[in-house]
Amino acid sequence: MITLSEYFMTILITCMIVNLGLALYGVFFKPNLIKKIIALTILGDTANTFALIIGYRMWVAGVPSRPPVFTEWRSNNPLLLFVFTKTAVDPLPQALVLTAIVIGLAVTLFLVFLTLQAWKIYRSVDMRDIRRLKG
Amino acid sequence: MSYGEAFLLGITALAAIFSTIATYMAIMERDLLKAVIFSAIQSTIYAFIYYMLMAPDIDLVYIPVAVGLYPAVIIALIKKTTREEKP
Amino acid sequence: MKHWIGICILILTILAISFVVAANINVLVPSTNVRTLAEIYLKYTYYPWDKYFTAMSPEACTSIVWDFRGLDTVFETMVFYLAIIGAIALARGVPLKLPREIKGELGLSLIVKTVTKIVPVLIIAVAGSIALHGHLTPGGGFQGGATAAVAPVLILVVFSQFYLLKRGVNKNSMLLLRSIGLTGIGITAFAAVLIGLATGHYAFVLQNQPKPLAPDISLPAFVGGQLISGSLWFFNFFEFLAVAAGFTIVFLLITLPEKLAEAKEEKHVAEGGEK
Repeated sequence: MITLSEYFMTILITCMIVNLGLALYGVFFKPNLIKKIIALTILGDTANTFALIIGYRMWVAGVPSRPPVFTEWRSNNPLLLFVFTKTAVDPLPQALVLTAIVIGLAVTLFLVFLTLQAWKIYRSVDMRDIRRLKG
Repeated sequence: MSYGEAFLLGITALAAIFSTIATYMAIMERDLLKAVIFSAIQSTIYAFIYYMLMAPDIDLVYIPVAVGLYPAVIIALIKKTTREEKP
Repeated sequence: MKHWIGICILILTILAISFVVAANINVLVPSTNVRTLAEIYLKYTYYPWDKYFTAMSPEACTSIVWDFRGLDTVFETMVFYLAIIGAIALARGVPLKLPREIKGELGLSLIVKTVTKIVPVLIIAVAGSIALHGHLTPGGGFQGGATAAVAPVLILVVFSQFYLLKRGVNKNSMLLLRSIGLTGIGITAFAAVLIGLATGHYAFVLQNQPKPLAPDISLPAFVGGQLISGSLWFFNFFEFLAVAAGFTIVFLLITLPEKLAEAKEEKHVAEGGEK
């Protein structure tokens, strides 16, 4: 039997798979280097979203899942900590994605400088022109 | 079955469908400046999806990077190179 | 509009495929449990009853990033700086200095400039708050640094690059700030080892709270009643400096007005000067 939550979650995952396919199409088949960079950022974001979906936790018996931040730490109450452990989402994919986004920005900046260098030498950012000019 | 969860995930699924539209437009658009703006729209929707997936940390790093810095850098690159993508 | 036909086909395909998939198998949907490792992280992120396993930070992400998996993040910072250094090396040899005379008004209109005088201050304040509260609320060094890097971009676009250069935000000062940040990360990583060497105890690199094999050395979790979670506060602060300065260098280089520089160079050469 299909529940509404599962259907919506499946829509989310299918949309992400379609985004991944579109971004891969952009990276592989678009000849323009700037378009390739844009598609590469979308590809990286979509891959990060998959990591977050793996770490997500559905609601446990009607209790909403919560971010992995133990906000009641001042109370020093082990029971609240137990409830937190049983309802919070997985923090590990979030910690990995966090550094992945910043490193992705640095790598994209490197690619932007490479594209700028290609423009200075060939006066074109189109792969077909660059291939023709320098065989 | 909890309707609250279905409601929140339904909003997330709707946002995901809009993100697919934005991605499609960003990949297929010939004008690179418009493509960057569609990519920024897609990033905004992704930030909302991350918020619904209970990841506030990712949101805080994703909004400045993907909505602020990526478009700024790529628009600077477009300004120095060309705006039109040749068919 | 030929785009709309493709979009409609795409959405209908998504809805149909997800209905078929969700009705038959539900392996794609996350379960109501997380993995055992995640439960251990969630339990021990703030657990003052057992000092040997906890990170003493209520924020699980920051405690994983800088304590449980701290060595990973140190190497990730290295990858990040390799990419930044590669970008700087590609842009080398380009002059990044003030022209002798600037004619006319640079940048956008007066209204935009007046608004932009206020906004970067707010951005920097929010970024500092995100970075320095990273062990209590969502946030941390990477988030704060990325947020702070938006302010120089705004000033670069609205006021032109010479405004920043005239006020000392140039490549060398940002390199200095970045070096301070990276040195701080290194010192914080070795702090427990240095204390252990001075006092003659056994300690680990990247150690925060006492460990079963090194029970004598620990960085203080509370300072004056405030929770600073040992090394996490220092890591967040220095990573904030390093990330913000590293991005600012690259943005200074990418928005360089090269046409202006080339025109000046040609004029200089045409007038008989050396290249």
